[in-house]
Amino acid sequence: MLTPAEGTESTWQATGDGAEEELRIQHRIADLERRFGDPYDPDNPLGITALLDADERGELLAEAEDVLAGFQLNAEFVPREWGGRLERVDTMGRVLRAVFRRDASLGLGYGATSFLAAIAVWAAGTGEQRRRVAELLLGGGRLAIAYHELAHGNDFVRNEFRATPTADGGFLLDGVKQVINNVVRAEALVLFSRTDDAAGSRSHSVLLVEKDRLPEGRLRYLPRYATVGVRGCQNAGIEFTGCPVPGDALVGELGDGVELALRSFQITRSVVPSMILGGGDTALRTAVSFALNRQLYQRSVLEIPHARATLVGAFTDLLICDCLALAATRAVHLLPAETSVYAAAVKYLLPKLLTETTYDLSVVLGANFYVRGGEYGAFQKHVRDLPMISLGHAGTAACQATIIPQLPRLARTAWFTGPPAPDGLFRIRGPLPPLDPARLELVATADGLACSLAGAADELADAYGERTGGYGEALAALAGELEAELRGLQEECAAMPAKDRTVLASPRAYAGADRYALLLAAAACLGVWRNQRPARGPDGEQDPHAASTDFLASPVWLTVALTRIAKRLGRPLPKLPADWEEHLLDEVLSRYHEARSYDLYDTPLAG
Amino acid sequence: MVPQPIGAHVPEPPGRRAPLGEREFARWLTGRLAEFLGRSAEDIDPRTPFAEYGLDSVAALSLYGDIEDEFALYLEPTVAWDHPTVEALARCLADEYARSGGPARADGSAEV
Repeated sequence: MLTPAEGTESTWQATGDGAEEELRIQHRIADLERRFGDPYDPDNPLGITALLDADERGELLAEAEDVLAGFQLNAEFVPREWGGRLERVDTMGRVLRAVFRRDASLGLGYGATSFLAAIAVWAAGTGEQRRRVAELLLGGGRLAIAYHELAHGNDFVRNEFRATPTADGGFLLDGVKQVINNVVRAEALVLFSRTDDAAGSRSHSVLLVEKDRLPEGRLRYLPRYATVGVRGCQNAGIEFTGCPVPGDALVGELGDGVELALRSFQITRSVVPSMILGGGDTALRTAVSFALNRQLYQRSVLEIPHARATLVGAFTDLLICDCLALAATRAVHLLPAETSVYAAAVKYLLPKLLTETTYDLSVVLGANFYVRGGEYGAFQKHVRDLPMISLGHAGTAACQATIIPQLPRLARTAWFTGPPAPDGLFRIRGPLPPLDPARLELVATADGLACSLAGAADELADAYGERTGGYGEALAALAGELEAELRGLQEECAAMPAKDRTVLASPRAYAGADRYALLLAAAACLGVWRNQRPARGPDGEQDPHAASTDFLASPVWLTVALTRIAKRLGRPLPKLPADWEEHLLDEVLSRYHEARSYDLYDTPLAG
Repeated sequence: MVPQPIGAHVPEPPGRRAPLGEREFARWLTGRLAEFLGRSAEDIDPRTPFAEYGLDSVAALSLYGDIEDEFALYLEPTVAWDHPTVEALARCLADEYARSGGPARADGSAEV
């Protein structure tokens, strides 16, 4: 079933909490799922088999690109006021999961790349630049993001690609950009270029370069890079030689490039991890399918305790990841003064958790893990794609380097003193204020997510006793441990030597960033759980998502999620009631059999 | 020991009631930069851009918080980008300090 049950519309409208918008989103995802069809049907021309074949050929599946064009996926990346469907960052991640769970190359190569480029224009472009980018994307065109130079990695302030200002107010482009997705077939590029010789953060600018406005013979393409993962993506280089562009190509002000990048990254770092959860869904789904169907020692793999524990653990990790992704994407709208650290934390932690979870799942698959085709081939492809999409525009180290310098001040002035994050941050289907990139602060000045851990243990006991049930004791103990961990981190960060705030930071500082990200994830899980409403209202009104609401409102997943986080943090673990694994395994299996997504949204899938 | 959130405070000004000027800010900045870079203060040239010493953009952004905590001067996080040397930033801080009625604060009447 791909559409919300009949008769649910009226109840949702009656509640007046963004229900109409939520229905629109659900219909959009259902529409996309329907167009793609069941990925596991071997006869589906858009199924896993066809996608794997295209991957082996190093191509994006043409039929799948046609489907995305028909769906107007690009409209997801264009703000509503410019004719698109982009209103909310959390929604974008949610919709794109439908693409990423089938093929990350397609998700990046057809879609997300254009958004990564366009965001600078939405953030700082002129009305005319926005109009042109909207027109390009809505017309099915592509935008490439040309920031990267191999020699400098994420140290993009060292970039050497030059845009020399000319007497007529324009620029002369000279230099090379490498490993740029879609650089050949994109109609326009967003270029990060040096516009001043001085060292520092005011020497670069962003330019919107439309290829059809360039003179002949001033640009050439460099050979495509063969990659281990996302093989369908067309990553090549581009070289400009004395190529003039008009002054109106400048996005924002001259010298604003680094600032614009840091602002734009807050949105892209938040949303890309949310998208790639679709790949995690496929990895788990594939492993569940294997565990159910494969007979070993005269029983199904599922009957092996280790396999059961791994599947349940993976599902819990996906929920943890989604809670953090939810908080980070909604923070873009709700907490623009804090998003700088949350975006970096989710971009750091989510791919890491997903990679480790995928490794755990690979053990369940055994030798089938190595097979590139067939029924379980999607798993191996996910393993290859994941590190590529994780690296993308912000590697792990770059994200840690964004978090670490901010920790001492947050420790001293924000933690345990500021207000907790608003409930809206955790409402998975709740409405949000409009997206306004200009409000994103370069440095976080508050930290409501971390602050929400303060007093969480007491709050659980006092206000949620009824819902915690037999898990109350364990939950209170876990919440206490997490708060104690934040206290410990506060002491360490407040005393952090200045040297640790630079790229010369000690391993200890990096470990601090890791602990911080885990604490944010824990706070997000708690927030999501606290904001679950009972499935039945006082007047007997039925929530259309009753099943998933019941699951998310129960204390089991939260307890297991916090236990997994506490374990990573090296905190003492409480004893859990005996039925937790059974409860979660039931959910894993019913979501498999009923084709519903392994995330917070419990979305009906086409298979 | 649980660290107390430290609010803005003004350090002992040289010569007690003397206002903080470019020289004092330059001395403080040089010391701070030396800590950041793990070098001695003598090695830091006041006219060399921070970035040439390897101070990255994000670390440079965090300087504004130190300035706020130390001198109760509320500046944009990008202040160290726009004034990218010890000399330039010290001048900017001295100007801001004077504008915000600096000397009155230096004898302990700073408001947080």
